[in-house]
Amino acid sequence: MRAFDYHAPETIPAALDLLSQLGDEATILAGGTDLLLRMKAGELRTTGVVSLRRIADLKKLEFSPETGMRLGASVTLRELTRSPLIHRHYPCLAQTAGIMASEQIRSRATVGGNLCNAAPSADLAPPLLALSARALIIGLEGERQVALEEFFIGPGETCLKPGELLRAVLLPTPRGQTTYLKLTPRAFMDPAVVGVAVSLRQTNGDFENARIALGGVAPTPMRALQAEEELSGSDIKIEKIETASAVAAQECFPIDDVRATAWYRRRMVKVLVRRACLALVETGSGRMRS
Amino acid sequence: MKSLVTLDVNGDQRELYLDTRRTLLDVLRGDLGLMGVHRGCDSGECGACTVHLDGLPVAACLVLATECDGARVVTVEGITEDGELTHLQRALVDEGGIQCGFCTPGMVMSAMALLSQNSNPSESEVRAALAGNLCRCTGYLKIVQAVLSLAGEQAEVA
Amino acid sequence: MTEESVSIVGQRVPKLDAPHKVSGRAVYGHDVRLPGMLHGRILYSQHPHARLLRVDTTRAERLPGVKCVLTAADNPPTKFGFGKDNIPFKNRIVRSLRDEVAGVVGIDLDIAEEALALIEVEYEPLLPVFSPAEALTEGAPLIHSERENNIFQTYQYSHGDLAQGLNESEVVLEDSFRLPYVSHACIETSVVLAEYDPRGRLTLWSTTQIPFLLQRELAEALGMDGSQVRIIQTAIGGAFGRGLDIYPYEPIAALMARKAGKPVRLAFSRQEEFSATALRQPAEVKVRAGARKDGRLSFREVHALLDIGAYVSWGTVTPLVMMETTASLYKVPHVRFSADCVYTNNPVTGAVRGYGNPQSTFFVETMMDRLAEALNFDPVEFRLLNANEPNSTTPQGLVIGSCGLKECLQAAAAAADKPAGRRVYAGSIAGVQGMDLPNSTQEISSTRRRGVGFAATLNVGGGARIYRSDGCGATVKVDDYGHVTLIIGATEIGQGSETVLAQIVAETLGTPVEHVAVVNNDTDIKPWDVGVHASRTTFIAGKAAQLAALDAQAQIFETAAELLDADPSQLTARQGVVSVKGDEARALSVSKVVRRRHLREHGKVVLGEGWYDPPTQLVDKDTYKGNISAAYSFGAQMAEVEVDVETGMVRVLRIVCAHDVGRAINPMAVEGQIEGGVQMGLGYALTEEVIVRQGQVLNPSFLDYRLFTAADMPEMETIIVETYDPTGPFGAKGVGEMGGTPTAAAIANAVYNAVGVRMTQLPMTPDRVLRALDEKAREDNA
Repeated sequence: MRAFDYHAPETIPAALDLLSQLGDEATILAGGTDLLLRMKAGELRTTGVVSLRRIADLKKLEFSPETGMRLGASVTLRELTRSPLIHRHYPCLAQTAGIMASEQIRSRATVGGNLCNAAPSADLAPPLLALSARALIIGLEGERQVALEEFFIGPGETCLKPGELLRAVLLPTPRGQTTYLKLTPRAFMDPAVVGVAVSLRQTNGDFENARIALGGVAPTPMRALQAEEELSGSDIKIEKIETASAVAAQECFPIDDVRATAWYRRRMVKVLVRRACLALVETGSGRMRS
Repeated sequence: MKSLVTLDVNGDQRELYLDTRRTLLDVLRGDLGLMGVHRGCDSGECGACTVHLDGLPVAACLVLATECDGARVVTVEGITEDGELTHLQRALVDEGGIQCGFCTPGMVMSAMALLSQNSNPSESEVRAALAGNLCRCTGYLKIVQAVLSLAGEQAEVA
Repeated sequence: MTEESVSIVGQRVPKLDAPHKVSGRAVYGHDVRLPGMLHGRILYSQHPHARLLRVDTTRAERLPGVKCVLTAADNPPTKFGFGKDNIPFKNRIVRSLRDEVAGVVGIDLDIAEEALALIEVEYEPLLPVFSPAEALTEGAPLIHSERENNIFQTYQYSHGDLAQGLNESEVVLEDSFRLPYVSHACIETSVVLAEYDPRGRLTLWSTTQIPFLLQRELAEALGMDGSQVRIIQTAIGGAFGRGLDIYPYEPIAALMARKAGKPVRLAFSRQEEFSATALRQPAEVKVRAGARKDGRLSFREVHALLDIGAYVSWGTVTPLVMMETTASLYKVPHVRFSADCVYTNNPVTGAVRGYGNPQSTFFVETMMDRLAEALNFDPVEFRLLNANEPNSTTPQGLVIGSCGLKECLQAAAAAADKPAGRRVYAGSIAGVQGMDLPNSTQEISSTRRRGVGFAATLNVGGGARIYRSDGCGATVKVDDYGHVTLIIGATEIGQGSETVLAQIVAETLGTPVEHVAVVNNDTDIKPWDVGVHASRTTFIAGKAAQLAALDAQAQIFETAAELLDADPSQLTARQGVVSVKGDEARALSVSKVVRRRHLREHGKVVLGEGWYDPPTQLVDKDTYKGNISAAYSFGAQMAEVEVDVETGMVRVLRIVCAHDVGRAINPMAVEGQIEGGVQMGLGYALTEEVIVRQGQVLNPSFLDYRLFTAADMPEMETIIVETYDPTGPFGAKGVGEMGGTPTAAAIANAVYNAVGVRMTQLPMTPDRVLRALDEKAREDNA
């Protein structure tokens, strides 16, 4: 690791000032569970680490029935698994966080860290995409919001400009149900070979407007837009789920790596999308037509 | 760069002047001589370096020491007052949950963290809590049995 | 031999060092600090096969904090290793990506690491060879140019008459198997500390399993006399065969200490642990097996191609074990076995727990299942019909005394009828996680199929004579307080041998086990032992300890007899008190007897001595026949699995292990060894593979070399079968390696039972299972 200066500003403005002074040399430190690995591997050229640990604003987790949830970037995975608000309104996020890595990692790893590290298989991304999340970004020029789909621009790359911070993730009020299925060789510890999140809204007992998000099968977490088309409207039948699954499998871009082959991943997209849809439809209280 | 870091380790206030690159694990072992905290992989993947940081189980190899300024750290060396084994430690010994012992301190810290949050965990919950602690000797069964033998007892809080 | 009445042997005595380990007070190699200690790091080759043209260490030497830099110029003249084909720092040629090219000694690790990057090396790449098949082709590059070809050794064995076997067969089946590289994956990484004292004597703090052989090999490698080398074993954070040889980093540490004039610690990072320690050989095996109409086996024909890597370690002897399983697991009248051990530019392979047995049991037990099915036999009945029996000698010459194979198979079979009790763990539903999918979902439950499979194992249980001596020495000292010290050659490697030996001594002497201490970690102090391997320690060291304790007891009884006015044959000892049998009033404490024995004119202290080298043979060097072990252990496992036919995921619900260990000196320790072995067997079966491509390890971390965690383990039940072998101490036989040996085979057989596909390649990854299912579907439709 190269030697670096360490800063722990207490407010967002102070952090933004520091980032602007340090320029390209700056690295933002949240939980550190991804960052430290990269630093130890000599992958970063940083000489200035800006720690977010003292910034209270980033740790807030707030919900209102009108505007939905504001999830501070420094909220930890452990906090997600234990938050009554999350359990009540976005239980899928609690479940997802609960199957990521290990207790030790979850104690430190943050929502913001998982998203900003932008691994193609980042576990929080598919459920957040399915929940129509937006990224709240702050810089010296002020705040801006982007749909989470636009937040990820490549493997390990986000749309954050130098000097910007991810401040929070914004979620609209929940309507319907969401599930995240993660395919891994072991029960914990492993990144997703394939991750699938599906969200189904329910109106008058009918399921509609599916959102399908995939992880681990493209350069970034992605929405399976064409597959969603198959499930648009109010008349979800089993055959439509089958078709949507097949379409989702075709519209992703999996690769071969030490963890799995592209062939296997593509096949699993189909299986998981189908299972996720069926699980939602069966556990929901609405009707499913055949 | 070096920075002054003040932290409470096992009840003792320590003030250290540290290179910012050093991890909590480096400092606990290297500066404070707490050899019970083991280095198994240095990547947060094996759990051998599990300690309590402000009451939460963490992998000390993935925490910068500088981040611990003002924090409270507890290692396996700091869980007993009088040098006697805790009930959990006694259970691990008696149930045969220890062979080579390298994963053991980490297991103790993870199990303690679980029991302090949930004094009556199910087997599933115990196994999930220990999923981040790799063991190559025991097959985990006796470790899990030892932790379960304490379920329902007064939780031990570090 | 019937079980004698015992009170300490057979007890679940907690491990003697467990309280230290649970308090974090055990001292591992990484914890040892010596005054002035420096840190060593190794520079590895950048090419799998190349000429080393130039190694320029000037810039590294100039870095402040660097004490010295070493290269092949610092090598002593002798080659070392099982094949005498290795040198500490490579000179002129590098043969694998883990070849050691140079070493740095610095005041701390960071500086040493930085200095490595300053060493300039010029290579001339040579054509590499990455598979045994390639290495065997005409004109393939020679890994060791002084040899004629790339075969280090070929093994050929036969008994009976293959042609006759073929003739007798009602069915003949063939298959090919591919077995992977796996790693010991000890949680502690390799570490060694070397120090020369002012008189030039070398001390090595090591995690070796073979201290006396290491002492000899290291002395030879360094050009020193063995008397000048002392090996001290630190607490060991896992062994499993990792410490079963001399590896370059050991003489390198000594060379570093010599050149730096200070103690040097050389510790591996986790990445080095995966890429620079020995792995289990990958194997390509062709098997043909036949059986008669009545269900009796007729023949087995096996050919194995093994990748040794660039240099030879003890692990190259694994074909002897594969041969033993092929020839002797179950009764097979006609056997032919051959194995080629071939050099390549791949990572070095070596001894890994089971030492050829997990591999051979996998193919033998898969074929047993196939033969049973072809002849329409129940898989367990078929195995029972062909099972080894007590008091028999196999065609290979193995003299089987006690044998509980049938009992083990029956116990495993009985367990198959009980349903799996415990259900889903947190988050894992056939590997698909997230929402707890309701069991009522027809769609999903119809995609999961359950099956049950069996496999048995035969393992040496009374030592293994693969070296000219299979012996162990022990001394027992009893002091003025009745406290006993057992000083014994066999090491504690975490497996619990120390406690078992203390129990044996305590039982023999009639002393509480709390009064027994074991000293076993210093070659200057302890008597000779060949090493901890082949599951030999309870049996051989146990016998040595027992003999030493009996000798000490004879001395105690000699004096006690005088003091109690009795004959020594009338005496007995219990709980630290010697008394006359049938007349407990005539008694004296052991401590008093010891004091009276030496605190007088012409006195003597109590010091018992024992040496045990079993009555076994080295196998004949041509026929490989002979009885290499004084006893054989057996076991059988039942695996219950659930296969998700859409994802290819195999989830093991339950493993039941029934193992014949003669007698469990410490049932808790026996269970622990078996349960730990199963964890390795599960990984071998399903998730562990060191992926090597172009000579490079692609997954050198726990992230991608996946060990089963607590949350992945199935329900496990261990049934200890006791057959009381008369040769072993209190009837005991070895168990250390058996736990993980039949597991992969039992799982593969269960997968077949569940979904009708035969997996012949390990690990049975979801990808491979799914492809096999697809192929089966194609064949079924055709």
